[in-house]
Amino acid sequence: MGEDAVSMRGISKRFGNVAAVDRTDFHIKKGEIHVLLGENGAGKTTLMKMLYGMIQPDEGEIFINGSLANIRSSKDAIGYGINMVHQHFMLAGYLTVAENVVAGWEPDNTRVFSYKNAVETVRRLGGQYHMEVNPERRVQELSVGNQQRVEILKALYREAEILIMDEPTAVLTPQESDELFNVLRRLKQEGKSIILITHKLKETLQIADRISVLRDGKITAYGIDPEKTDQEELAALMVGRNVELHIQRRSKKIGKTVYQISNLSLGENGGHKLDQIDLSLRKGEILGLAGIEGNGQTELIEVLCGLRKPGTGSLILNGRKMNSQAREFLGNGIGHIPEDRTTRGLVLSMSIEENLMLGYHHQSEFQKWGILRKKNNRLIAERLIKEYGVKARDGRLPVSALSGGNQQKVVIARVLHQDPDVLIAAQPTRGVDVGAMEYIHHMLLELRDKGKAILLISADLDEIRSLSDRIAVIYEGRIVSEKMSDAYTETELGLLMAGGTQ
Amino acid sequence: MNIETIWISTIRMSIPLTLAATGSIFCERAGIISLVLEGMMLSGAFAAVCGSYYTGSALAGVLCGILAGTLIGLLHGILSLRYKVNQVISGVGLNLLVTAVTTLSMQLLWGNRGNSPQVQGIPHFTGVLSGQSVMTFITLALTAGAWFVMMKTRYGLRLRLTGESPEAAQTLGLPVQKLKYSGVLVCGAFCGLAGAYLSLDHLNLFVREMTAGRGYIAYVVAIFGRYHPVGALLGALFFGFFDAFQISLQGKGLPPQLFVVLPYVVTILIITFAVKNIRQPDGLGKL
Repeated sequence: MGEDAVSMRGISKRFGNVAAVDRTDFHIKKGEIHVLLGENGAGKTTLMKMLYGMIQPDEGEIFINGSLANIRSSKDAIGYGINMVHQHFMLAGYLTVAENVVAGWEPDNTRVFSYKNAVETVRRLGGQYHMEVNPERRVQELSVGNQQRVEILKALYREAEILIMDEPTAVLTPQESDELFNVLRRLKQEGKSIILITHKLKETLQIADRISVLRDGKITAYGIDPEKTDQEELAALMVGRNVELHIQRRSKKIGKTVYQISNLSLGENGGHKLDQIDLSLRKGEILGLAGIEGNGQTELIEVLCGLRKPGTGSLILNGRKMNSQAREFLGNGIGHIPEDRTTRGLVLSMSIEENLMLGYHHQSEFQKWGILRKKNNRLIAERLIKEYGVKARDGRLPVSALSGGNQQKVVIARVLHQDPDVLIAAQPTRGVDVGAMEYIHHMLLELRDKGKAILLISADLDEIRSLSDRIAVIYEGRIVSEKMSDAYTETELGLLMAGGTQ
Repeated sequence: MNIETIWISTIRMSIPLTLAATGSIFCERAGIISLVLEGMMLSGAFAAVCGSYYTGSALAGVLCGILAGTLIGLLHGILSLRYKVNQVISGVGLNLLVTAVTTLSMQLLWGNRGNSPQVQGIPHFTGVLSGQSVMTFITLALTAGAWFVMMKTRYGLRLRLTGESPEAAQTLGLPVQKLKYSGVLVCGAFCGLAGAYLSLDHLNLFVREMTAGRGYIAYVVAIFGRYHPVGALLGALFFGFFDAFQISLQGKGLPPQLFVVLPYVVTILIITFAVKNIRQPDGLGKL
């Protein structure tokens, strides 16, 4: 193998008083997939942005193929064969694939730009790497997976030898992730070196040749062989303490039904989004809803929280029939952790304090005669921030300043503070790191033990299996199977989710 | 009503709109909001008259007009890009500033706040093309040139990318600031020329606030033409027609105020029904 493709030595970067990256060494061999693992805010992205020239290190040196590199900008980095695919794609949606790929490095080295030539070049490139994307389509018309391909093509077109991928699977479906991994393996065979930034343990073990862990700006473990480690060890390295990844503790006492859903149907554009759904949420039980995304989960959540009126069927909460009015649902003890915290769960530009009362702001706890009780609300917010371990200096900061895990804690704190009887928890741990995930899992179990009824909807089958007491499988808007969770095997569930019969 | 006079007058009215709208396209495709067109045009109109007044040459006047428009473009660029002023506020503020400065300057130079003395104007053709301004052909050539630059050159591609996604342009190592400045400067030059046309092509003098909202109409024309130079040309002809139509209806016994509002009413209608579905560049107004 010889010398390293990349060698970063003694790199430091401070933002104000905080050392984002602290005297770190990091080396990549040629032709390997090296996973850089760490929690949100550990400094992974900062370290890689320095390699890509987007920010300059305060100290330290970078060597490319053994010789000292002077990287002052992304342009320099591209010159050294380094390219980065960002978590948020750097694409102009209105321009075509071909235009996005070649811009800034146009094929004919003249002032006149030949679009035809660009299309041809991109088509050839796609064929060469088995990543066909129609070069004449506008990028905004492509699926997220294909947009990512465009980003990779952009890098390959610039003759990248070293490819940095920042959380590439965060936005992909499991199928798209598998495809991406196939692409990355092919690129490795071509001799490219790949650095993959992630905080997901499963995929790390799936794809990595070697693993390094970054915590608080320092490499805590370098070059681990994935054959000789497991998720528990990696999680402990990431968080700095032992983490319980798969908590399994079944309910000791399941009580009576609190929320009865009967014969629920919902039509849309002539088809059935939900088809005769019967479910009962019982005291002291977590009911897990397993299913591939897009099989009616979103619609079901909306109906159960009063955001959408069902076609037929009845909802009975504590013996009372519910009609569609989201406020009535909230007021009667339904707590809702929405699927997407950034669009439904929070108003990002508003403060933590304000977000902690959204939807409940009309209650006398928060207002008097229509005027918000500012001082009182501040005290409540401070208490909740402490109680739920939200890492925030000040409740007056906008929620957008928090990491994903802490944002989710704000949503959870708001809902639980109201002491709901029923909790609809949709994707409660999506996009949060392992530390926060463990915390949220413990909290759900604790709530259940206090006698709450919980409906858990998650795309992560492992999460469903470990937390749920009972599992229902949804497929094309129908509940196709329901039994106690330990009665299912993993293969059986996978089959049911894909529409297979028992 | 005479079809031929309306046609000639349509062309005359659409020339400044075409030029200003084409300028606007460069600015907006670079991601900068171009509500400053009015001020650019007005400064161009005034500077053109000054240039012609002092040199006796219409060509020198036109060059002065272009220069003045470009200067306003530079100011808008500095305010928006360096000082990160809200681009709508910067644009409208500059428009007001130009109105004030031109009025004041007229008072100082000629002791008259209403209009300037007559000066040497842009020549018109004689013979077959009798009556047509040289500017008609210059405008057509410039529109074609703008299309070529925008769609068929490396610069145009990079400018469009920058306007859509400045972050993407930056990660590719493109000089984002320079590209944005170039867009707003080209816009200023086009608008300065449009202004020079207003003052030097027909009246051959400057009248206070003579642009009369054409900069705002041109802003709508650029959107209506889907930020495409050829679209802008067609859109300008459309608006120019209503302007010409309005003029031809005057002196027919009805109060003229009734017709003067016509182009503005059309603008409102276009904004309400046609423009709302047109997509603006993603990076517009962002830094």
